[in-house]
Amino acid sequence: MPPLSEALRDELVELLPRLRRFARSLAGNMSDADDLVQIALERALARSDQLRDGAPLAGWMFGILRNAWIDEARARARRNRVFAPEELGEQVADPNSAHAEVLPVQQAMGRLSDEQREVVSLVLIEGLSYREAADIVGVPIGTVTSRLARGREALQAMLGGVEQESR
Amino acid sequence: MNLSEETLMAYVDGELDVQTREQVEIALASDPEAARRVAAQRALRSTLRAGFDPVLDEPVPARLLSLVRASGAPATSGKVLPFRAKPVARTPWMQWGSLAASFILGALVWHFASRQYLAGPFTEQHGVIVASGSLARALSEQLASQQEPSAAVQIGVSFRAKGGGYCRTFRLQQSDGAAGLACHEQAGWKVEVLAHPGPSASPQGQYRQAASALPPTVLQAVDEAIAGDPLDAAAEAQARASRWQGK
Repeated sequence: MPPLSEALRDELVELLPRLRRFARSLAGNMSDADDLVQIALERALARSDQLRDGAPLAGWMFGILRNAWIDEARARARRNRVFAPEELGEQVADPNSAHAEVLPVQQAMGRLSDEQREVVSLVLIEGLSYREAADIVGVPIGTVTSRLARGREALQAMLGGVEQESR
Repeated sequence: MNLSEETLMAYVDGELDVQTREQVEIALASDPEAARRVAAQRALRSTLRAGFDPVLDEPVPARLLSLVRASGAPATSGKVLPFRAKPVARTPWMQWGSLAASFILGALVWHFASRQYLAGPFTEQHGVIVASGSLARALSEQLASQQEPSAAVQIGVSFRAKGGGYCRTFRLQQSDGAAGLACHEQAGWKVEVLAHPGPSASPQGQYRQAASALPPTVLQAVDEAIAGDPLDAAAEAQARASRWQGK
């Protein structure tokens, strides 16, 4: 594996908190999410010859992490959702968790379809543009917007009173 | 203008060009139902961020950090995260503990990830975060002893760093009260650390430049950087008069 330049390593380290957030929103619980980040890092480092200083790292890494998540989910034969509500219940007692409890919004994310969840995460949490999200997921922009619209609708329905929290 | 759900969604997501955006805004002014839907969409975005942003403040597991660090040339032992891309004359307080570093970077990344922030009080120059705009002005001009409690930037303590230069802590009234430490260098005020207090921060305006109100990471950075005591009001004014030329 070719050594990464110091600048790229720094950039990758800086990106880790966001990668962890993205993974958490996909996989739900912390240990699965960090496993995903680890797999994505290993894959990225093995392919680091595709990278050079100054190239956009974030989109590339999000894409690798997203694909790792898809692969992992398949590897589990999708017996359960990676992010099953039962697992969320267990996370409440996880002493390593920074959160005392699982927020309704986290549970609601876990109930979205995988297709909706990934675009909701990329656009609404990670703040990527539709174009960037479409490139990462590998679908046309129109598909991103329709999944996003359905994902939003589902989240609004699950979260109900979210409108009152508007500032 | 026809405010379809799709248009409203694109509006909330910042996908519209300026002209269309303005048209939507004009139409929204006379369409309370559409305005309500926009508010609901915005609230959903905030709720999602509030649900997952705390991940950014968690320490990054060592196994992930070491995976990245091990990917380069053999690192010198004990060397932790270089905060800037080109460490020129690295000062002692740059040697962060890795947990603190990941937290700090998490906070930084959060800020840069947030679009509204891009035009904000920071710019990035070759991997170094430099204060700009109102923050740069406040760091250069504002005296902690004379500032208005309502000022957008609140200056905390000012001090001489071990390297000889001047550093000042600050807090932004906006951005949920992000706080940090900036040190004066040739290029301007380099932001050494920036921490986000999180969504449960005290409401705006509660900060009274008390050192204890600073996030622990900022306090730690000050402790490690400071040479002697913080400047008193007279020394602060004198430092400003010298244009913060400390060395």
